[in-house]
Amino acid sequence: MKTNEIFNFKRFGKYFGSDIRTCRANFGLSLITISLLFPIVIYIISIAFNRILNNEWVGPGADLRLFVFAISMVCIIVTMPVKCYGKITEKQYGSLWLTLPASRLEKFISMVILSCILMPLTGAALSLGIDAVICGLDHTCGSSIAKEGLDWIRNLDETKEVTLNLMYESLEIKDAAVAQNIINQLSSPWLYIDEIFGITLPFLLGAIFFKNGKTVKTFLALFAFSSIMSIAMTPLMVSWAKDILSAFENLTDEALILSFLNNGFFRNLVLIDTISDLLLNGALLAGIWFRIKTLKH
Amino acid sequence: MIQIKDLGFSYGGFPVLKNITMNLEEGRIYGLLGENGVGKTTLLTLISGLKKPLTGSIDTDGHNPYEREPSFLSDQYYLSDEVAAVNMKAIDYAVNYGRFWENFDLAKFNEVMQILENDPQKKMTTMSFGQLKKTYIAFALACNTKYLFMDEPTNGLDIPSKAQFRKAVMKYTREDSVILISTHQVRDLENIIDPIIILDRQEVLLNAGIAEISEKLYFDYSNEVNQSALYREMVPGGNIQVSLNQTSEESKVNLEALFNTVYQHKELIKEIFNK
Repeated sequence: MKTNEIFNFKRFGKYFGSDIRTCRANFGLSLITISLLFPIVIYIISIAFNRILNNEWVGPGADLRLFVFAISMVCIIVTMPVKCYGKITEKQYGSLWLTLPASRLEKFISMVILSCILMPLTGAALSLGIDAVICGLDHTCGSSIAKEGLDWIRNLDETKEVTLNLMYESLEIKDAAVAQNIINQLSSPWLYIDEIFGITLPFLLGAIFFKNGKTVKTFLALFAFSSIMSIAMTPLMVSWAKDILSAFENLTDEALILSFLNNGFFRNLVLIDTISDLLLNGALLAGIWFRIKTLKH
Repeated sequence: MIQIKDLGFSYGGFPVLKNITMNLEEGRIYGLLGENGVGKTTLLTLISGLKKPLTGSIDTDGHNPYEREPSFLSDQYYLSDEVAAVNMKAIDYAVNYGRFWENFDLAKFNEVMQILENDPQKKMTTMSFGQLKKTYIAFALACNTKYLFMDEPTNGLDIPSKAQFRKAVMKYTREDSVILISTHQVRDLENIIDPIIILDRQEVLLNAGIAEISEKLYFDYSNEVNQSALYREMVPGGNIQVSLNQTSEESKVNLEALFNTVYQHKELIKEIFNK
């Protein structure tokens, strides 16, 4: 097959634009409702409850708003693939999608970008935006989630130092290099950034794999997968647990704690996490690609 | 040209098509007829690349349809019997998707919509099935593709729309196009389809042009009963009788009578037309 038949930038741009418009038509209203309505509703409920129970005007705190933000993001990630791509398993929508003159690779890339990056980011931006507006209008809510987050990133070094000092005090660890490494590993963005793919890709695969009951079946498949993984990993975890338990039983035993924190796993936490995420996400992407390739109507 | 060779397909071990061999040539509007479940839709979806042949091959100008190469897809359009109510206005749908077909003509889309008395500004989710079907027919014709496959296009259309559909197909398709229309409603398409392909379970019973059919079969609309007729049907005001044309007399082909004749005399018809 010619390269132009596999991928063409101009055609991809055209397809991506069309895919965005189709997604906006199918999911735009839901995206706005979930992103904007959740923070507004929780604000109204908080104000109403505080007014009735405590006779005071106090908006929802940062913890509650962060929780609502997380819930709305989960709702977007779970529902978006079904709304935007779920119908390709139905004959009337699927035959149009399959015969649309763009390559499989272009359709695949556009689908992944929209589901894993663009839609969650748009939802997050809308949700954080309305939260900032609410906090700007009503100062009883405190700082907005976005501001809190930016402050946290800005003060990351300070936070690291405080955590390090706490570790020195509580664990009496004198080996600064080991503790510093643990803090650096845990605060690395690479530990968290790729997680978004690990959360969104299963729901995208579920949306195009199952013909009906897509979300429920995806949750059940995830539950089954985690159960199998737990059983498979049990022998490994048991041996790890022994080390962890003995470390916590002897919190003052610095040598043991140091050897525990200084083992290969903790020293290469980010690398191990990135590799395992790459493998898992790679398998999910391969599943999505294979489904697109073999979809028939 | 589409070349189909020894094509076979089955659903979970149940064979639907077996050793289908035929060519579909340019500049023709083929009518694909057959009883329910003989594989008309399956054949259309195989030709348009929505399914993978189990055996044999389909060659469309050097392309294997199942590869779904963009250059191949941009020169064909498949209109499914079930159409989707996309959450967009008809005109927005045409603009959004039409750009993928090189020869798409928005003006033609609006013209056909007008002929079919359909409102392009109406949201597709609020349209009736017939209106949706008209929108997709307008879109299919506006794509200006060389290959156009339509599965039961007149299903759901009201009586005036069926005439408008015939008019639009005749007016707005390319001269070099290969059009394949599957239908049960033979009367809806009687004057536009030529040649006729009649499918039976797993095989092609007839693949012939109207001229050839008229040359080999005689359609008698008189009241006189012909004892040697292959098929006879009483209709208001007389009969339709189909017999072998032994006098080379010309007659108007009646598709329903032809269909019934072919189904009642499968071996004879195959023998006559495969000579």
